[in-house]
Amino acid sequence: MDDVIPGEGVVPGRRRRPSGEPPPLPHDFDVAAIAWLVAFLWWAAIWLWVFISDDPAIWITERDLEMMRPIVDLRTTWLTPTMQVINEIGTHWASVVIGWTTLLGAIAFRRVRHAILFFASQSVIAGLVTLVATRIGRPRPLGMTQLGDWEGYAQPSRPVALLTGALVAAGLTLFRPRPWRRRWYLLSIAVLGVFGFAQVYTGVDHPTDVVVGGTVAVAVTLLLYRSLAPEAAFPIVSRAGKTAHLDVTGARGEAIRAAMSHQIGFDVDEIVPVGGESSAGSTPLRIVGRNGDVVFAKLYSSVHLRSDRWFKLARTLLYGRLEDEARFSSVRRLIQHEHYMLHLFCAAGAGCQEPIGIVEITPEREYLLVTEFIDDAVEISEAAVTEELIDQGLALVAKLWRAGLAHRDVKPANVLVQRGRLRIVDVAFGQIRPSPWRQAVDLANMMLVLALGNSPELVYERARRVFSDEELGEAFAASRGVAFPSQLRSAVRTDARHLLQRFRELAPQQKPVAIQRWSLRRLGLTLWVALIALAILAIFLGSLADIGLA
Amino acid sequence: MKSRLMLLARIGLAFAVVTGCAPRETMDPPRCENGSVLLAAQSVPTAEMIPCFSGLPEGWSFSTVQIDQDGTVVELDSDRAGSDAATLRFTERCDPSRAVSVPSDLEEADRFDDIERLEPGFRARTVYLFEGGCVSWRFDFDHDASATESVALEGSLMLLSRENLNANIRDTFIDVDL
Repeated sequence: MDDVIPGEGVVPGRRRRPSGEPPPLPHDFDVAAIAWLVAFLWWAAIWLWVFISDDPAIWITERDLEMMRPIVDLRTTWLTPTMQVINEIGTHWASVVIGWTTLLGAIAFRRVRHAILFFASQSVIAGLVTLVATRIGRPRPLGMTQLGDWEGYAQPSRPVALLTGALVAAGLTLFRPRPWRRRWYLLSIAVLGVFGFAQVYTGVDHPTDVVVGGTVAVAVTLLLYRSLAPEAAFPIVSRAGKTAHLDVTGARGEAIRAAMSHQIGFDVDEIVPVGGESSAGSTPLRIVGRNGDVVFAKLYSSVHLRSDRWFKLARTLLYGRLEDEARFSSVRRLIQHEHYMLHLFCAAGAGCQEPIGIVEITPEREYLLVTEFIDDAVEISEAAVTEELIDQGLALVAKLWRAGLAHRDVKPANVLVQRGRLRIVDVAFGQIRPSPWRQAVDLANMMLVLALGNSPELVYERARRVFSDEELGEAFAASRGVAFPSQLRSAVRTDARHLLQRFRELAPQQKPVAIQRWSLRRLGLTLWVALIALAILAIFLGSLADIGLA
Repeated sequence: MKSRLMLLARIGLAFAVVTGCAPRETMDPPRCENGSVLLAAQSVPTAEMIPCFSGLPEGWSFSTVQIDQDGTVVELDSDRAGSDAATLRFTERCDPSRAVSVPSDLEEADRFDDIERLEPGFRARTVYLFEGGCVSWRFDFDHDASATESVALEGSLMLLSRENLNANIRDTFIDVDL
């Protein structure tokens, strides 16, 4: 209430966005995709006209042949073999090479969505070309000898469409927008220009067949990619970068500045991406204010929401419904959950990051969770783990147990040391009233994190002051498989002291806690996923020739 | 606008799945009564005669049609003779060396027959030769199908002269030859 002055409304600095005003980062309106879609619809209207009357077909064919004659008149003994080779390469090889490069590149760079979209867009193009070509039934150019390879009806040109689709998809899958995608498109235009000319020169396509084939392919590919893998949500980054990390320069950077200022009254001076090594579920940022204040923020978008869904699906397949695996239905709900968890952790006195607020960047698609920045802090793996820190870590777990909370992602990157005080961050996986198994896992993981910087014997001895022997035995009986965050698993593996084994020797032996949950639902889901995967594989293999990959 | 684009994209994706799953739509076979014969004519530009179908006998249907720069291939299914029981090929050259000359039912062409087996499972090849090209039938029937099925099918095939096709194009479409 301190920022509201009675009679004067909200204090300066904060500003409510009035109805009708666009959000800080509006949904992108893709002019290029719309323009190509309009061009495609224009051709579709002509096709409809051709279906009901011969007049436009006659007029278009006459114009096509008029355009072709001067090109066909160029036929010479030295140029014709070159054009025939280009026709053969473009018809039989180019889309195969570019298509496989795109697919394998997408898989290598872990752009599964782009790989699926490549297959989908080429399938739509092939299906559409077949559908329209058989309805129009246009023969190859009349009155001209066909000197190159061809198959089926002329319009739309199938090889031009598939090659264009492969080139555009390659640009959208493999290259960042600037400068490489632009350069790729310029190269593609040159390639398609030469190939289109060769098609006309060899008399296998009319000029409009080439143009329509290209238009259909660009429209379909752009529409699918821009709608289902928009650059804002699925940025193309180098292999070294995390796909979850969004670019916070340019329009998004400006939107963050405006939104922070208007919604929480924080004037941004600098936005610095941080924590690139171990954060994959969000884009963590350090934001410096004009007044020198520093806050921490996590940028969440639909890409993170999807990651969370895939992660939960994978867990359900591997372990069953071990815990709450219900998916978040929106980015808003995902960030609301973490914001609420921060409050609960703070209320439990669990060394939390104080939440400041949620900032809306694009409604339902991008939000920032702003918290205090824990300054002068290091990851516990970079600090000297003293007896005092060990006690703090164990006390933190005990507080969580008492409050009925679980962190579920205890690993070195999430345990910070600030001027001798232990702080725990990233409560995104936090859970209220967790299962006893999960509480035990939090304890085991915290003890492993602490033992990485000290001796397991000391950690165990201090733990006995807080937890009973049965609880410690349960912790290491529960600690297996899904229980380990990958960073912790890797650190424990590389430590020569066999920490987990040592803790199991120290703690009372208990029967391992079963983490496999079998149910009809899990069996059904596994079967369903396997069937879908098999169906996709069968469709893919069966369509290789149709979509220009064989 | 964005949600409409999304809807269109999702429809496209569904279309991809459907086109991926659905049986391949084949081209029109060359039929005597419409323009589909033009493409077949272009597949063998040297041929003076162009084969075309004037309807099919009861029980026969077109299976796959392939028309490209090397010629035209039409495969046909029969409810009695089996799937792909007959294959028609229209190419520039055929080799009738093993076949014997017989009186032709198509007066524009010479006919050669090579019967491997009458029953069980009729298996034979029939070749029609004409100026600049040829048409061949390949029959491979199921065991219980009668060889007479092939006679009715052969009767549905006609040969159009390229000259007549050109005249037809000039009369009804534009002033060029094939």
